[in-house]
Amino acid sequence: MILLRLISWQYVRKHLLRSLLTIAGIVLGVAVFVGMHTANQSVLTAFTNTVDRIAGATQLQITAGEAGFEEEILERVQGVPEVRVAVPVIEAVATPETRAKGNLLILAVDMTGDRSLREYALEDGDDSFIEDPLVFLAQPDSIMITREFAAENGLKANDALTLRSMDGPKRFVVRGIMKSSGLTSAFGGNLAIMDVYAAQKVFGRGRRFDRIDLAVQEGLRPEEVGKRLEQLLGAGYQVESPSSRGKQFESLSSVYGMLANITSLFALFIGMFIIYNSFAIAVTQRRSEIGILRALGATRGQIQVLFLAESAVGGLVGAGLGAGLGVLIARGMAGSLGNLLGEIYGVAQKAEEVSSDPRLLAGAVGLGLITSLVAAWIPARNAARVDPVQALQKGKFQLLTAGENRARRVLAFVFLALVALTLVYGEGRLIFYAGYFLSIFAGVLMVPTLGLWLAKGLRPLLKAVRPVEGALAADSLIQSPRRTSGAVAALALSVSLILALGGMTQAAYASIEEWLRIALNPDMYLSPSQNLTDRSFRFPAAFAEEVVKLPGVRRTQLVRTVRVPVDGEPVMLVSLEVASIRKEVRLPVVSGDGDRMYGEAAAGRGVIVSDNFALQHRRKAGEMLRLNTPAGPLDLPILGTVVDYSDQKGSILLDRAVYEKYWKDDSVNVVRMYLEPGVTVAQMRDRVAAQMGDRYKYFVFTNEDLRSYILKITDQWFGLTYIQIAVAVLVSILGIVNTLTVSITDRRRELGVLQAVGGLRMQIRGTIWLEALAIGAIGLVLGWVFGAVALYYALETSARDLSGMRLEYTYPFRMALALIPVILGSSFLSALGPAETAVRGSLVEALEYE
Amino acid sequence: MSKCVWLLAAVALWGRDAWGQDARQIIEESQRRHRSASQQYEGVLEVYDAKGGRNEKRWQYARTGSYGQSKSVLRFVAPPLVKGVALLVHNHPDRASDQWMWTPELNRDRRIALQDRSTRFFGTDFSFEDLEERDAEQSDYRLLGEQVVDGQACYQVEAVPRKTRASQYTKTVIWVRKDILLPVQFEMYVKTELVKRMVHRRVEQVQGVWSTLELEMNDLKKKTRTVLKTEKLKYNVTLPEERFTLQALRRGE
Repeated sequence: MILLRLISWQYVRKHLLRSLLTIAGIVLGVAVFVGMHTANQSVLTAFTNTVDRIAGATQLQITAGEAGFEEEILERVQGVPEVRVAVPVIEAVATPETRAKGNLLILAVDMTGDRSLREYALEDGDDSFIEDPLVFLAQPDSIMITREFAAENGLKANDALTLRSMDGPKRFVVRGIMKSSGLTSAFGGNLAIMDVYAAQKVFGRGRRFDRIDLAVQEGLRPEEVGKRLEQLLGAGYQVESPSSRGKQFESLSSVYGMLANITSLFALFIGMFIIYNSFAIAVTQRRSEIGILRALGATRGQIQVLFLAESAVGGLVGAGLGAGLGVLIARGMAGSLGNLLGEIYGVAQKAEEVSSDPRLLAGAVGLGLITSLVAAWIPARNAARVDPVQALQKGKFQLLTAGENRARRVLAFVFLALVALTLVYGEGRLIFYAGYFLSIFAGVLMVPTLGLWLAKGLRPLLKAVRPVEGALAADSLIQSPRRTSGAVAALALSVSLILALGGMTQAAYASIEEWLRIALNPDMYLSPSQNLTDRSFRFPAAFAEEVVKLPGVRRTQLVRTVRVPVDGEPVMLVSLEVASIRKEVRLPVVSGDGDRMYGEAAAGRGVIVSDNFALQHRRKAGEMLRLNTPAGPLDLPILGTVVDYSDQKGSILLDRAVYEKYWKDDSVNVVRMYLEPGVTVAQMRDRVAAQMGDRYKYFVFTNEDLRSYILKITDQWFGLTYIQIAVAVLVSILGIVNTLTVSITDRRRELGVLQAVGGLRMQIRGTIWLEALAIGAIGLVLGWVFGAVALYYALETSARDLSGMRLEYTYPFRMALALIPVILGSSFLSALGPAETAVRGSLVEALEYE
Repeated sequence: MSKCVWLLAAVALWGRDAWGQDARQIIEESQRRHRSASQQYEGVLEVYDAKGGRNEKRWQYARTGSYGQSKSVLRFVAPPLVKGVALLVHNHPDRASDQWMWTPELNRDRRIALQDRSTRFFGTDFSFEDLEERDAEQSDYRLLGEQVVDGQACYQVEAVPRKTRASQYTKTVIWVRKDILLPVQFEMYVKTELVKRMVHRRVEQVQGVWSTLELEMNDLKKKTRTVLKTEKLKYNVTLPEERFTLQALRRGE
């Protein structure tokens, strides 16, 4: 501790900028880790809180996936003696036409019995007079809102509130304002209660409910009653506690969590090289100090502990700063992330407050600390090995790197051989990821050697550009590859990450665009919702029947999408008219016989699954797939796998007739319309409007609209990837700045001598600038090579564990070229500060240095 | 409107002098005396909140059959926002009644689940259960003694629902006028807590039957009260059986 205060603290104070740069990698890595996870957790917590608050005294919830079920199920459940109270629920998200932005979560319940489960504390304390319960039930336009929502929008009892509904914009009347309570804080206060039977009409549910909330008789265990209900209703119904809905959402957002981990771990990994680099240089600079300490009796162990302690303190400070920064980042991200997850998965949530889990913060700080200690381990060991006699001889340098390069190369080749083996025998997840990490380690170990070769190769070029400065810059790199190898490795890894992510994005875009071209080829679409992933609104079958008969319509295809549980995870079931679809759309077949699979599926004798479903759920064509339907288990063979990107978690394509039969649901999410030749979308839009009048609410999407919409969501999703790329670029810039700063300090005497013998300031600047550009160029070239390997692994990871998308390997040459100005420009900018420091320092001090 | 249906029917049956001291006999005789083939009236419902605010609704009521097997329809006629809302009740001697509610604006009926019977009847101080008729067989009775209520000598009878008859109340204490065997006050308990009190205010003879024409239900916890006034009360009118079906309910008959 005394040594830390007397020695280390003085060093840090003297080199404050460098110290800050050293821990910057940790700050960034921890910030990204904390920020992305906190944002994700906040959205998840908001969802879980909304579920909990809405649940009230609900002990069990009965659902049949998202499809809902017929009303008669309610009476069956209410007839079970162990059930104390069971009430029907419809949950939907609607857009209010109010001055405050934001959706409204509609909880539709049967108010005659629902108060046994939920407490609706009303303003004025009396629900029997001011807000008349009979009027509330008698009038389908009745709605009850929270005090918060009322205040935000200037609403009071008996005011009108317009919501966009199935019947067009619908005017509701506020017939109750709830006092603040647990329930009203659900969905950030944007909660409204209405009658469940009115909601059936408004949201096009027919005579169906979304779920049943229930409480069991006193003294009974909900789990046991749940089993009894499952037996009574059959496997198509899920009887679960309200909290399990949170788990389902967690499973949907798990991809995002994994991306957050990859980004932050990569930032920390790169940060590790920066720390290593700084400490390696610090050991070289401080060898006389180490020599004195050793001469005064300090043991090797004490020296090693001193450096490790410095690293630990730096790591803790960096992690602490990173955690704080992460919470700030999370505040900015939570809202947009909530919207993104809502758009992608159609699940409503709204992050109300962002608060970090102490365990997450502790984990992040621990991660930062470990990273810092690991990075400083080798420099600390080298510091301990410093010979005090040599160290105290002025001008004597102790070579610390002798013989190391050969050992590194050997180890790198061993790793590469192992990587080759994992590629041959890499079916298993563990072997695959082991290969991935070994390839990174092999690359990192090769950096000093490859960097040296490249520096030698660059020397003639640099010399040709600026004979003196170029030669000096190249020689600096050639003579001390160890000094720059950390920065080069960090830069190369960053570039490789950028290329891998960019390549993956590019491939995904290409695949999605190709899928859009093939699968989404109708002329226009009718949807009951402006947000196509929102399944709150549905068309009744009668709507679709009217559309079919419109003149000028060549073909219509009715699509109903619902999430159903498969292997305990919600999976998108797409029910469509397969016989009609096969005449217009042929999705690329991955496995199975195309003609046969469509024929059999049209006859209801099997399902076609998307390739990403097959990959994520380890299913193959020919296997049986069990779907638990409200009418009982439905076992159908998987007829084949196709490329379909309807949903990130995979999709199951089923004929509509089978769906209607087993789910007893004839509602429609989307009507695909092919028009007769000569009929324009505008004409058909008018015909639909003339036919439907104000009876239904619908949105018309042209083919182009839909493609743009899907690409917009794709963009939003890849926005997360761009965050990763930004982090990678930022860390690599930090690496270069750090390297140059320590390089200047390290070469202060050398640069002083140059100035003393007549070197001009501009020549010194030029030397440093060229050195920075050379580091950038070497890192870039190595990054291009590493990126080729990283892209392979990124695509495989995506297919195996992220989206299940099997993407084609295409090296992103354009992106690689685009990185030249970015990296070289960043390198040059990074060199400006250190170069000025070098030329403006005292010549006497510089010559005294060392 | 709690036992209002029962009470309004019971009012018509209680006519004779005091009937012995056996509690069950008192109740059975009361019901026997008030038995009528059918009944109809127009009701005015006044709901007073804790601050004294008043809300009024009007309905038409019709019943056919008597204790334990009766069917009744209650249809709101005012105010306009609730006009047409109706409640159909089918009573059964051996189990709880079946109840359906009709909302014309939604053009659909809904079943009132048994579990929901303890909830308030549309913001009044009556519960759905209070709208049911109760056969004497569905409770056990105990004569607690005699008391004077509103200047009238009364039997004080305790009614405890049998296990087969689910009820929100643990017990009900009934005061029955000795002279005309008419219940004039009810007190409902949940466990040992007195939660509601119903008092009959105006008692007159209609078609020779003693009938309550105004009663008041007090929710002692919420400190609210509901007054039910009966107008145009008639007994033994001809009411077709089809009027007491779901189809008729939907047709608005």
